[in-house]
Amino acid sequence: MDTVASNEFKIIFTGPMGAGKTTAITAISDKAAVSTDVVNTDQAQCEKELTTAALDYGQIALPDNSCVRLYGTPGQDRFRFMWPILMKNAAGVIVLLNGDHPELEQHLEHFVEAFGEGRDVPMVIGVGRLPENDHSRLERLAMQLEQRGVALPLFDTDVRKQDDVLLLVDALLCLIEANDTGRMEA
Amino acid sequence: MKSESPLGKTATLLVQQELEKFGETKGVTSAVLLTSDGFEVAALKMDKESASKLAAMGSSLAAIGSAIAKEASLKECSRLIVESEEGVVAVMEVPNVTPPMSLAVVANDASILGQLLWAAKNCCLGLEKKLKELITA
Repeated sequence: MDTVASNEFKIIFTGPMGAGKTTAITAISDKAAVSTDVVNTDQAQCEKELTTAALDYGQIALPDNSCVRLYGTPGQDRFRFMWPILMKNAAGVIVLLNGDHPELEQHLEHFVEAFGEGRDVPMVIGVGRLPENDHSRLERLAMQLEQRGVALPLFDTDVRKQDDVLLLVDALLCLIEANDTGRMEA
Repeated sequence: MKSESPLGKTATLLVQQELEKFGETKGVTSAVLLTSDGFEVAALKMDKESASKLAAMGSSLAAIGSAIAKEASLKECSRLIVESEEGVVAVMEVPNVTPPMSLAVVANDASILGQLLWAAKNCCLGLEKKLKELITA
């Protein structure tokens, strides 16, 4: 019989269509990730062959024997009904954004607001496809968040790279831990 | 966001006729033909907003059904049924069409499950035939 993990965390990957949620979960999951990819007929919205219609699922075991369950949401608004279903009992949220998208700022607003601005549960943001050695877009996004009155960690993330995605997960787990400690002390 | 059906006007009309025929089945309250990524293609007895919502939910259910079937080493998920005291929702695949499509049907407690599923299956086969004829025409 498998050893039962002493701690389990459920974390959510969200963001617009084409931000790389499925790729990110696939990049770090210990076992083959479960996906609900279907043929994408909306090429105008995003030129890719497949899109997630329900959820992605993967999991990673941490050295301390805890288990992180990774859930990916669909990005399109028509699948918004899936978001609260997946968010139930989630310990934190990772928002992934495509830094090359013309509506990058709107996407940031949309997803940060829809998933609670880091107030209900901790949130970190990973931005992909940024120009090399140019942090101006990240700075712009940070300022945008500041204007909203929220401070969230922002990372330059290549979702195809395991280390980049694990960095996001590590950062989120640190926030979750800090949050829990704060709650206990309160 | 897309507002048009992925099918042309003639195809949409033919599809609508198939749905109307299916709508005569006892207990059927509504139905929607949807693409596997959640867009409404045609709807029966539903307003646009409800049809869009059922199309998105139907596609998520179908995708979860396929994922579970795959996990269980089953070849595919051809049908998914949600049963309640007040009625039934069923989502089933329309075979061999491009783009991939499913039919989501809603029926009340006057429906008889076997009859409903039989009629829905025939509707899917009818849709397959009509859409194939259009492609080869």
